[in-house]
Amino acid sequence: MNAIPFAWRSLRRQPARAALGILGVAAVGALLFDMLLLSNGLVLSMRDMLDRAGFDLRVTATDALPGQGPRLPKGLATAQAIAALPTVQAAMALRFADATLEVPGRAPLESGFQGVGGAGIRPWTVLRGRELATAGDVLINENVARTLGVEPGATLRLRPTCAGNDSLPAQTVTVAGVAKLPFDTLTAATVIASMETMATACGGDDSGDADLIMVGSRPDAEGNAGSDAAARAIAAAVPELKVLTNEELVGRLERGGFSYFRQISTVLTTVTLSFAVLLITVLLTVSVNQRLGDIAALRALGFSRGRVVSDVLSESGLIVGIGGLLSLPLGWGLAQLLDVILKRIPGLPAEAHFFVFAGEAVALHIVLLAATAVAAALYPVWIVARLPIAATLRNEVVS
Amino acid sequence: MTTATQSAGGPGTTTSAAPAVIEATHITRVFPMASGQVTAVADISLTIAPGDHLAIRGPSGCGKSTLLHMLGCVDTASSGTLLFNGRDVATLSDRDRSLLRLTQIGFVFQRFFLLPMLTAWENIELPQAESGVGKAERRERTRELLDYVGLGKRAGHRPSELSGGEMQRVAIARALANRPRLLLADEPTGELDRTTGDQIAALLDRVNADGTAMVLVTHDPSLADRCQRVLTMRDGRVESETTR
Ligand SMILES: Nc1ncnc2c1ncn2[C@@H]1O[C@H](COP(=O)(O)OP(=O)(O)OP(=O)(O)O)[C@@H](O)[C@H]1O
Ligand SMILES: [Mg+2]
Repeated sequence: MNAIPFAWRSLRRQPARAALGILGVAAVGALLFDMLLLSNGLVLSMRDMLDRAGFDLRVTATDALPGQGPRLPKGLATAQAIAALPTVQAAMALRFADATLEVPGRAPLESGFQGVGGAGIRPWTVLRGRELATAGDVLINENVARTLGVEPGATLRLRPTCAGNDSLPAQTVTVAGVAKLPFDTLTAATVIASMETMATACGGDDSGDADLIMVGSRPDAEGNAGSDAAARAIAAAVPELKVLTNEELVGRLERGGFSYFRQISTVLTTVTLSFAVLLITVLLTVSVNQRLGDIAALRALGFSRGRVVSDVLSESGLIVGIGGLLSLPLGWGLAQLLDVILKRIPGLPAEAHFFVFAGEAVALHIVLLAATAVAAALYPVWIVARLPIAATLRNEVVS
Repeated sequence: MTTATQSAGGPGTTTSAAPAVIEATHITRVFPMASGQVTAVADISLTIAPGDHLAIRGPSGCGKSTLLHMLGCVDTASSGTLLFNGRDVATLSDRDRSLLRLTQIGFVFQRFFLLPMLTAWENIELPQAESGVGKAERRERTRELLDYVGLGKRAGHRPSELSGGEMQRVAIARALANRPRLLLADEPTGELDRTTGDQIAALLDRVNADGTAMVLVTHDPSLADRCQRVLTMRDGRVESETTR
């Protein structure tokens, strides 16, 4: 009987102790798993959202995050010039403003107002109705549709606030469709129009300035993303502008506010693992101390030091292994619950997730638990390894 | 009959066809304690030949168990030499000493020390598996040993389901599992009633008669009287040795 079945028998001999250990590891392991998912979840989720939006490059005037820096002068024309580059598939100029939406019989609704220009891919999905077609068309998101009780075909009054000017007259616009936007928050009210419609609404300010140009690169001959080639081509064509790949954007988020999650997760992971180590160490130490006579007898019968040590290690491994297996579904379930709670934080895109399943997190989870099993076994292993055989046998009889 | 305290035969004298199992020369065991040294075994020389049947007796605390532990290579002498099969035990690594115990020495304890989570069968199989005996051979040997100790029908029972005498039988079978040259027993009947103790003594006699050298530590004169040699200790020394 080698060490693992032997350890298994030892565990089964004391089912309550074994169950305590396994459940303890399952609970601690679930928390650990969640911490690992949390440490990178939002970043992975953002990357996924960026990729799904169909654009892999962002062009802005400065290094500030899109929408937070100065405008791009002649953004629409620049977008068209970029779209003409051979490495580029589509370029869309985007301008951000605010608006108050009014429908008779309803309270006015404060809303985000986005103007888009340029041909090609659209980041949104039209849920009902149709795409923007003629001047005066707008797309609204579900929150606007619900709050104002409007559907495609309806009209509404849009009073924009453009570049800080909030005394502009209201325009009548037609709801072409209801769309789902990738970066909308749960509560966001958003209305989208063409840049021309926006310029008209903003009092004929038709300079075509944009906050951001979103670019979709053309995949290379092998079908790989052509982000880098497109980024180089854009930088050469419009050297005064900044080009940001999705990767770089995610990197910035990671170094910025998102790094808090990693820090919190590291601290909590350490605390969690320490608890696991303590729990298993205590259980194994108690168990080993109860069996010193048996262990000394085995040594007297010729079991090597390595063998009795591997028995203890196997026992630790079994407790942590079984508990660790249980911890994965438990942790995943808990993550769903926590995700729902955390997503209520205002200002987050509705599509964002804090806990994103990742193979790396599972791998790290396994590595950390394996290290826990070894660390937890260190003290009991030390007891067993330096056990004086003769003195222990004698003590067992004398006591 | 009483002979000299120290048996003849120093290291290197085993030139006969069957070398001595053990040759201990001037072995001493000192325990350093905070309150001063305790000399548990003082300058004992002893030869155990194949098939020997030796009892060690003496008052409590005279060093019987300490001597037995040194003979069984679970404890090392503070001074003196101990040869097992002609090899100096002190020069062996912990691993080699374990291997020596596994293959050459059987231990029977007063408290049995059967593993509680294993059946009688598994307890007997365990040392064989550890020494790498194949499955089929193990099965045959275990069956043979269970029959030998009269527990053929209790193979699947755990220690908690056996009486003290039965447990000691399983322990004896386990000690014999790897066909040791030497069987050591410290108070093997210490936890048993008279009748059961006699049965165990008879079983041990049979083991010795079948060729295994045996050293017993006992307080029980009737058990000691069954042995061919009786060593009486006092204060860590051999007071007398009688041979029948
Ligand atoms: N590990 C040890 N540390 C300190 N002293 C020890 C140790 N082992 C034995 N001794 C001492 O050595 C002496 C002999 O002990 P030992 O156990 O060999 O006696 P014993 O003859 O077997 O006694 P008993 O018949 O009661 O079992 C005792 O004084 C004991 O206290
Ligand atoms: Mg003793």
